[in-house]
Amino acid sequence: MSYFEGRRRWRSREAKKERTSSGRSASMTAVMRGLVILLFGILVIQLINLQVIKGEEYREQAEINALREIPIPANRGLVYDRNGTLLVQNAARFSATIIPGDLPDRGEATAYRMISNVVGVPVSEIEAKVAEGIENQGEFSPAVIKGDLDREVALTLIELEPHVPGLHVQVEPSRDYLTGDLLSHILGYTGPISAEEYAVLGADGYLYQDYLGKSGVELAYEDVLRGKSGKKLVEVDAAGRELRVISERRPIDGTNLVLTIDIELQAAVQDILAEYSADSDNAAAAVIDVKTGELLSMVSLPTFDNNLFTRQVSEDALAELIESPGKPLVNHVISDRYPPGSTFKTIVGSAALQEGVASTGTTIVSRGYINVENEFDPNVIYVYRDWAPLGVLDFYDGIAMSSNVYFYYLAGGFSDEGFRGLGADKVAEYARAFGLGSPTGIDIAGESDGLVPDPDWKQSTLGETWTIGDTYNFGIGQGYLAATPIQMLRAITAIANGGTLVTPHLVTKYLDSLGNTLETLTSAATTVPVDAANLQIVGEGMRQSVTSGVARNAAVAGVTVAGKTGTAEFGAIRDDGTYETHGWFAGYAPAEDPEIAVVVFVQRGSGGSDASPAAARIFDYYFSGGGPIYGPGNVIPVPGPDPADVPEDTATPDATAAPATDIPEPTATPAGEPTASPAGEPTASPVPEPTDPPTETPGQPPPGTPTEPAQQTATPAATLPNERRQSGGVP
Amino acid sequence: MIEPRAARNFDLVLVLLAVTLVAYGGLLLYSASLSAYPTISMGHPLTKQIIFAFLGVGGMIAVAWVDYRVYGQMATGLYAFAVLLLAAVLVVGDSAYGSTRWFSFAGQQIQASEIAKLLVIITLARYLADRQHQMSDPRVFVISLVMAALPAGLVLVEPDMGTAAVFGAIWLGMVAMAGAPPRYLVIALGVALATIPFMALLALGDYQIDRFRLWIDPASDPLGGGFNIRQAEIGIGSGGLFGKGLTDGTQTQLDFLQTSTTDYIFSVLGEELGLIGALVLFALFTALLFRGIRAATLSQDQFGRLIATGIVIMILFQVFINVAVNIRLVPVTGIPLPFISQGGSSLVMMFIALGLLEGIVIRHKRIEF
Repeated sequence: MSYFEGRRRWRSREAKKERTSSGRSASMTAVMRGLVILLFGILVIQLINLQVIKGEEYREQAEINALREIPIPANRGLVYDRNGTLLVQNAARFSATIIPGDLPDRGEATAYRMISNVVGVPVSEIEAKVAEGIENQGEFSPAVIKGDLDREVALTLIELEPHVPGLHVQVEPSRDYLTGDLLSHILGYTGPISAEEYAVLGADGYLYQDYLGKSGVELAYEDVLRGKSGKKLVEVDAAGRELRVISERRPIDGTNLVLTIDIELQAAVQDILAEYSADSDNAAAAVIDVKTGELLSMVSLPTFDNNLFTRQVSEDALAELIESPGKPLVNHVISDRYPPGSTFKTIVGSAALQEGVASTGTTIVSRGYINVENEFDPNVIYVYRDWAPLGVLDFYDGIAMSSNVYFYYLAGGFSDEGFRGLGADKVAEYARAFGLGSPTGIDIAGESDGLVPDPDWKQSTLGETWTIGDTYNFGIGQGYLAATPIQMLRAITAIANGGTLVTPHLVTKYLDSLGNTLETLTSAATTVPVDAANLQIVGEGMRQSVTSGVARNAAVAGVTVAGKTGTAEFGAIRDDGTYETHGWFAGYAPAEDPEIAVVVFVQRGSGGSDASPAAARIFDYYFSGGGPIYGPGNVIPVPGPDPADVPEDTATPDATAAPATDIPEPTATPAGEPTASPAGEPTASPVPEPTDPPTETPGQPPPGTPTEPAQQTATPAATLPNERRQSGGVP
Repeated sequence: MIEPRAARNFDLVLVLLAVTLVAYGGLLLYSASLSAYPTISMGHPLTKQIIFAFLGVGGMIAVAWVDYRVYGQMATGLYAFAVLLLAAVLVVGDSAYGSTRWFSFAGQQIQASEIAKLLVIITLARYLADRQHQMSDPRVFVISLVMAALPAGLVLVEPDMGTAAVFGAIWLGMVAMAGAPPRYLVIALGVALATIPFMALLALGDYQIDRFRLWIDPASDPLGGGFNIRQAEIGIGSGGLFGKGLTDGTQTQLDFLQTSTTDYIFSVLGEELGLIGALVLFALFTALLFRGIRAATLSQDQFGRLIATGIVIMILFQVFINVAVNIRLVPVTGIPLPFISQGGSSLVMMFIALGLLEGIVIRHKRIEF
């Protein structure tokens, strides 16, 4: 190359034409200066755009960057029983969360791996949960990787926290149900907010990782229990570390609740009910204050432990709960409806007195059945049976002996004798007036409406004409009629208190954290359209039922119990021509000045030998077994289950012996005698469960066919008492 | 090698401007390092920067002392050295941020392209000065282009799009100054612009495409590569007219800005000193570059004129690309802000470039006596 061949120092050759070269050079100088100005000008224009025009916007974003709002959860309200026993307390639950925005720029995989090793959640699942979290609530809110951590895992994670940006161990308040399975249907449980709930409640300040009431009181009183979460504004660095707290708003703890439930009574009722429903899939019982509508006890069997739901429920445990034949998750007191059977006669009786269809002196002879001709074909005769030929009955006897024939007359009349009955529409009207066919308004969710049929209903739903047989069945609480135990309890309460239809409820007071009453809750009440005098007559019939009628197993020494049994048939006819029955008892005490009403329902049981003795034990426990359990002026103590505050009514075992001796000996009377079978009141027309009504067609005999009466009347007395003796525990 | 009386021509203003820029950068470095280095120590980036500034000034004086035409005589060797350096770094260099640009030497990282840029400027200047009367010959134009394209291509492989673009700008500026016919320049620019889409599809790796995508929409990966783009923008925008005050920028002090002492140091300035601070910076650079242009006009020969032009273009484009990345005018590419960013090789080579300019200024107009 020529560069290195010169002996002398190399010089670049000067331009020959100095003028042109320097002219060119001068213009190039101007061009370069212009270029400098141009390029800096471009930068300045963009800077003005960013800093001056959009400056405010960016300032806000810088603040959002550096300031983080961190929620401070409020303590959920506690729940006490009516005597101040703590039923629920708050506990800590640890969950592993990731704040996606705080993850290291390119080290997410490492962070995920470290978290995965400790928590045991696969990396792919962590990634999915983080992605879901970002989508649902942005990158600066914690995405839960695993909730309900074991304490040891939680502590290991907390140690790891400073070394893994983005990892946050959240400590959240959880619920500890101290009474286990005793109040699961009443208290319910809390659970993580679902995507659907979040969509609705997000505006109310719920956060994506919140827990809320899912059932029972926890759900119904969610707004009260929840309180108001606080928040603090903190300055954070890019790794999400808190540098300082700028402002803080303390959370407002949830309000504490006092239940109407007496936990000692609840425990006793649960034990008693379990004893008398050993052969049943499910059973229900409730005790109510007839003046206020406060539920002192409400038991649905089988039950479950709601603490199961405060942890992550395993699939198996949940499947077992759902598939179990007794449906433990269902509150059978309020959510399941059954034919009320003879307990419904109290309502028909009240209606008949009020409408002038009957009076105390109305006398009807039960020969054990009545015959009704088919209205199109006089050769077809339907037979509607009593459970025994009970003979001459006045109004009190009709109730006390639970005569079906008596109530066939009252409900449907008997044209052969010129007796005018109420008619189906009137029966339906009064049934509704006593609260059947619609929810009672109890303050927890899940109530069933029940069903009050009438001719219009049958026509529109089944497309069939209402027959006199339907009215007869209706009159004795069978057929299409269906009611929940709580509905029957409420109806009986109205008879007990002279006509006030109370609203059953479970929460009586709101307390602040110091135990001061914030608010006392009362429930609305309406009146049934029946004169108090007439109700008193029905009550007297119920009293006689216990003293000398079919409900004698409900008698308790020293307590004037009034009550009505029911043994409602359901399902398909059995090979021996009988049906399975549900046992009912609905009653109150003391008869002269009623204080409490009790309902007992035993699936696949009998009213006389299962439900009645169970009710007797409950009355006995309430009035003597546990001493004066409740009354005005009970002091609710400050939080903490202090044994000293719990009434010393632990006499359950003693109470069990007492009623047994008072119950008439069912086997002492000869089989076939009506009085011998305290609960044998099969109805004339066996009717399946109301959800699946039989499709009767006119011209065809209804289920109660003429060929059956003898067999039907004989069976209860012959076979059932033995069974009942065993299941009922009666000596 | 230098006549004492010529020292009177030494451009003190140029050096003072450079030192002012280093001091200005030092303030920003201090603020940006505050969260990591609460106290000044020997290991503090500011201390290192000052040491390198002294080294740089020493190197500048040494380079100015030697007649710049000596470098012209060495041009072939310098060019070979530059190409060798850029090729070697691809094989034995260190990687960071997905790019291989550095040699480790005596505990320091030396960026190969920083050295190569100056060497290529000298080589191009020599070649073009030798052919200043053949500038309308297309062969000269094409050969000079190949001379610039070879190192630019090697830099692109690292990959370092920004520096490759600086090579392109240097070549274009120098051939324009050398007197290439304007139509050639127009054709060259047109071809360059037309090939950009193909380059993007064929030559560039996922790395560049990714960066380009993030530049268009940083929100597409807010926690990954888009994070920095977004945070720099927020930092500068939130600075407003007057800034939040030195050491009071939340984006800077709470570590939302990454590489805030190097490629993103302008964001620190934008956030803490605001638009006014940026205008001061631009004013300093404009003055410095104008002194560089002055050197080109004073040069006694075409060779010096072309060297000065190359250096001015180099500094101008580095400043422009660096700031433009910070304010999201161009896709992310790692180019230090001359005299401001932390980084020894960049700072020393900038002062050496000034040394070349001083050498040219000192030796202008021999007819003085």
